[in-house]
Amino acid sequence: MRSWVLFICLCLAGTVAGESRPGAPDFTRDVRPILGSKCFRCHGHDARARQSGLRLDEREAATATLRSGRVAIVPGDASASEVVRRITSDDEDVRMPPPESKLALSERERKVLVEWIESGAEYDRHWAFEPLRAVALPEVRRLTWPRNGIDRFVLARLEREGHEPSRPAERHRLVRRLYLDLLGVPPSPAEADAFIADRDPGAWERLVDRVLASPAFGERMAWDWLAAARYADSNGYQGDRERTMWPWRDWVVDAFNRGLPYDDFTVWQLAGDMLPEATFEQRLATGFCRNHPINGEGGRIPEENRVDYVMDMTETTGTVWLGLTMNCCRCHDHKYDRLKQRDYYSLFAFFNQTPVDGGGGDPQTPPVVEAPTDEQREELERLWRAVAERVEAVVAAEQTALARAGDAPGEPEGETPAVETPEEIRKILERPARDRGPKELKKLEEHFGSSQPEYAGRLRSLRETIERRDGLRRSLPRVMVMEDMEKRRSTFMLAVGLYNKPGEEVSAAVPVSLPGMPESLPRNRLGLAQWLVAAENPLTARVAVNRMWQQFFGVGLVKTAEDFGVQGEAPSHPGLLDWLALELRGSGWDVKRLFRLIVTSATYRQSSRVSPALLERDPDNRLLARGARFRLPSWAIRDQALATSGLLVARLGGPPVFPYQPEGVWSDATFGKKKYRRDEGEKLYRRSLYTFWRRIVAPSLFFDVASRQTCTVRESRTNTPLHALTTLNDATFFEAARVLATRVSEELPGATGRDLVVRAFRRVLIRPPRDDEERILVGRLEALERHFAAEPQAASAILSSGAAPAPETDAPARLAALAAVCNVILNLDETLTRE
Amino acid sequence: MKRPHPLPDPIIDAARHVTRREFFGRSATGIGTAALATLLARDGLAAPSSTRSNATSSRVGGLEGLPHFAPRAKRVIYLFQNGAPTHVDLFDYKPRLRELHGKEVPEDYVAGKRFSTMTGSPKGKLLLQNVEPFHRRGQSGAWVSDFLPHTASIADELCFIKSMHTEAVNHAPAISFLLSGGELPGRPTMGAWLSYGLGSETDSLPSFVVMTSVTRNTTCGQIFYDFYWGSGFLPSRFQGVKFRGSGSPVLYLEDPTGVSRPVRRQLLDDVARLNEIKLRDFGDPEIATRIAQYEMAFRMQSSVPELTDLSSESASTLEMYGPDVRQPGTFAYNCLMARRLVERGVRFVQLMHAGWDQHNSLTTELYSQCRDTDQPSAALVRDLKARGLLDDTLVIWGGEFGRTPFLQGNMNDRKRWGRDHHPYAFSLWAAGGGLERGLSYGESDDLGMNVARDPVHVHDFQATLLHLLGIDHERLTYRFQGRDFRLTDVHGKVVEGILA
Repeated sequence: MRSWVLFICLCLAGTVAGESRPGAPDFTRDVRPILGSKCFRCHGHDARARQSGLRLDEREAATATLRSGRVAIVPGDASASEVVRRITSDDEDVRMPPPESKLALSERERKVLVEWIESGAEYDRHWAFEPLRAVALPEVRRLTWPRNGIDRFVLARLEREGHEPSRPAERHRLVRRLYLDLLGVPPSPAEADAFIADRDPGAWERLVDRVLASPAFGERMAWDWLAAARYADSNGYQGDRERTMWPWRDWVVDAFNRGLPYDDFTVWQLAGDMLPEATFEQRLATGFCRNHPINGEGGRIPEENRVDYVMDMTETTGTVWLGLTMNCCRCHDHKYDRLKQRDYYSLFAFFNQTPVDGGGGDPQTPPVVEAPTDEQREELERLWRAVAERVEAVVAAEQTALARAGDAPGEPEGETPAVETPEEIRKILERPARDRGPKELKKLEEHFGSSQPEYAGRLRSLRETIERRDGLRRSLPRVMVMEDMEKRRSTFMLAVGLYNKPGEEVSAAVPVSLPGMPESLPRNRLGLAQWLVAAENPLTARVAVNRMWQQFFGVGLVKTAEDFGVQGEAPSHPGLLDWLALELRGSGWDVKRLFRLIVTSATYRQSSRVSPALLERDPDNRLLARGARFRLPSWAIRDQALATSGLLVARLGGPPVFPYQPEGVWSDATFGKKKYRRDEGEKLYRRSLYTFWRRIVAPSLFFDVASRQTCTVRESRTNTPLHALTTLNDATFFEAARVLATRVSEELPGATGRDLVVRAFRRVLIRPPRDDEERILVGRLEALERHFAAEPQAASAILSSGAAPAPETDAPARLAALAAVCNVILNLDETLTRE
Repeated sequence: MKRPHPLPDPIIDAARHVTRREFFGRSATGIGTAALATLLARDGLAAPSSTRSNATSSRVGGLEGLPHFAPRAKRVIYLFQNGAPTHVDLFDYKPRLRELHGKEVPEDYVAGKRFSTMTGSPKGKLLLQNVEPFHRRGQSGAWVSDFLPHTASIADELCFIKSMHTEAVNHAPAISFLLSGGELPGRPTMGAWLSYGLGSETDSLPSFVVMTSVTRNTTCGQIFYDFYWGSGFLPSRFQGVKFRGSGSPVLYLEDPTGVSRPVRRQLLDDVARLNEIKLRDFGDPEIATRIAQYEMAFRMQSSVPELTDLSSESASTLEMYGPDVRQPGTFAYNCLMARRLVERGVRFVQLMHAGWDQHNSLTTELYSQCRDTDQPSAALVRDLKARGLLDDTLVIWGGEFGRTPFLQGNMNDRKRWGRDHHPYAFSLWAAGGGLERGLSYGESDDLGMNVARDPVHVHDFQATLLHLLGIDHERLTYRFQGRDFRLTDVHGKVVEGILA
């Protein structure tokens, strides 16, 4: 036994996840993952799948005497435990897991289980479901390093495991890192220089505040939220009709920019329509729930669609706020988490009350709100007023001129009209002027055109104003939002998730294994949303700060940002996660404050250089002994290229735009039914956030982005040749390279090749090039200048690539050479990376 | 293309021309095996495999321990027929349908079954006989209708499965189910699983290539969703790369105008040299991967145009594939391209041909549908066989479900005869690597309505496909959201009866 203990200690000393000291197996960290992946399938929470009446997911059941008279787990006595006999047996008929399950235990796993039983077989409740309690900052030896609480947690673990934090990154790299993380675009050289030159204390904090106040902040933060909300500008599926949810997208940007607290951000999006005297904005926010795909395929059963949509809302809410993989419970009790199929449909019941019927593929399926822009709203109000004025003018005319002619509706009784009025006209005139539509007004105009020209003129003016007003209203974007029907729809458990296999009826309720809803909350969407942000909820704050952390470090403290259940990964720094969650909640859910806390930590500011020894020890940087280094999201790579070349048009919001995309991408995917019509001018250079997102064929320029089919809270990050081809050859990137070259040349008239190269390099990477880097680039510039001098047509082709006007230059060969060098700079690993 | 600046640094040399796996395998960076294992596990790459299929190809990537056993096939060409070909008109001959033509569907054949809303209740629907006559073909005597004379001529090479059945009744969920094992988008498709598990046999082309086509003038509105070749929760490098039907087959393959190949090479040399400096400075192995991927990008810029250059194909070969073969975007062109792709080491080629949705066009569009696909499909099998590739290449032909043995439409309006979606029995054929030749496996009932003998569920079919590639379908898994996922979900049984 002693050798086992030693072995186990060695194993645990080598593991990275978990903060607690190595020693006896920790249930959450060491034991549960083994039981979860190798045992629970047949001996877990799912009663239907359970074999031999044995469950190992609860201590009471696992230590009880079985029908056979044996006891699966005898705490403190491995040799008396049936589990140990089974997992160590050589007899295939006895051994667990059984050979046909193909779930063999490794030697190490067997030893962990044995040691755990020997040490008393203690079960913990799953960490993520434990209430959030105040965490003390850990003691550290190196008192000068920490800048805030984050660093205490990080350093404590580093010290425990014999590591040192890295030095701070150079200022050039830091300022670029901060801008890319918070804004998704790099700083201008002037902004960077201002910070680099600011040697006063607090320079970094001042920079952080400036950056957090930029409107680009909301645009950067919105991206990840849109991916989680499965936002797209079309329905998806066959037909893939266009929708106008973009006012909701603009609302998200604005909410981040003005620092809407995360609890309001939550409640408004899930149930803003149900708040007392809900504002337009609060109703608009519920568009979140309606961003799901809509299936317009012929032959689909509307009820099946409708159930799909409600499932999507349920599962998206589960992932985004609770970090739970609810979808497993569509068909059965969760195999691993304490979620039952009943929990799924109880949560489903909250969302099952909308009047959406699932029929057709109309992307404006009610309920909708009209979402005018400010200009449109003003114009609309002006037109309403104008209509009212013109109605009055018509009424006045009818009371005077027409009364004389005897045609007015208010004519004295018994008098014979001087002129015979057709029945149709009489009927129209009998209706109040404000109730007459354009067609009726037109008829009056025609009837009275010659006899009462002035009156007819007033009629025409009214009609035209009404038509303008209605035309404008029709053109307003309509956003699908939430609304509950007055009569509640009954909700049933659906056998294997099939819409037409209803079982037992359920009522709206939150999962039973989580703290219940207080009595004071209504059992509807609003109550659900308020329960999510209530102090008793252990998940919402943890899940939220983890996603925020992920944005800055490339991986969350809990790597499985989408799964905080028992099969998700345990947090690398559990104390830090809880501390941050409490910081967020305790600050009134102030998101900007949390970001500020993260980026002002010493942990964040470390250099991302890595030594072979540290790489060996911690390849994924879970210990945080260095700064994070990871490839930028593809959309940010584009935004960076536009920003550094000066092409970026930094206008906020509005309808989606259609920048460069190779010919035929849409028509290939839709048999020519959808044709991409590229925009011109400024719309080519808006931020990536505004690019039209066709759900069935995402913008071809972006790679490793969420598909926007279902909720995604963790983006993939791969490294393929197709990405290289994109950034080398796509029109956006090549145009940016040649415009960057022009810009630099114009800024430095008469400059040497070296000056030009350094200037271009600094625009992109902020730092100056090293000598060896500079030599390579200057050498290439000179060689290519000779090449293009001999190939003037090639030079001119390069300088006219893209829609931006070709530069006027008397040195086209040099400029083309510089453009090629800029193409290199825009493809450097460092350019594509945030480090 | 010779590189002008051989730096004497072993790290750099390694990084420049080899894959990341080989690069790490040399341990020249000082990155030890533990770090290596973690990094590779993260990307789904594993330690070097010693598998070498022959002198000219070596495996790039793939999981250690795969294949689980000796494979019968090394690569797959899936000729996916979107829209669902009508089994009772093409492969599944039912004389009884002729006898009962125009009669109502007997209720016990359809009781409790769900059909699309176009059919609604099957009650009172009229049975419809096959449109064209069937004949027994070749020595094996397999039934193939006159709709498909070319397929009929290679019947002895084929293995017909006539007892397929599936679960979904609408196209997108059913196609997703067949290709990924799940009805909703989000799971990896077969090609992604194979790229992940078995890696690639080429470093200058993607391991999973998709090409699409549609019959001209079809009224069918099917769309190819990219989740049909998605990698789901697997890293996105495993997703299918869709070659386009017009213009350059790979997006962004062409250098910008004015940038010649030698200039591109020089610029990439600079990118590599600067990235090498960065690698030495920062030590992040991702930089080495990036260097390798930029090099593969450069190779693809040559290998893809070479792939689509048909000048080396003989006139007789081209003729065999039929008159459309020179027309990019047609099924015939794609079939020829499929052969060229597998010759060059591509693991999984997925051709998708849409238009098989004969709700009201059995006597009209079905003819052009068959004309466009029959000859090229047969030519591909012949061509592979002639080159010795059929032995270890698996070719599959089929759609996402079958079509109702009863009529959709009006019996008196023959021009508008159609059949609706039918998941309860359908047929497909497969040929090559490890399959019995000239076999007809399984049976539907006398009306072609339900499976009567040797049912093959979609998950069974998937398990069998993996088996032929040397993979135990229960052991090729990927952990996501706390669960080990696999292509066959928690089902699937290898269909022993079709193995050679």
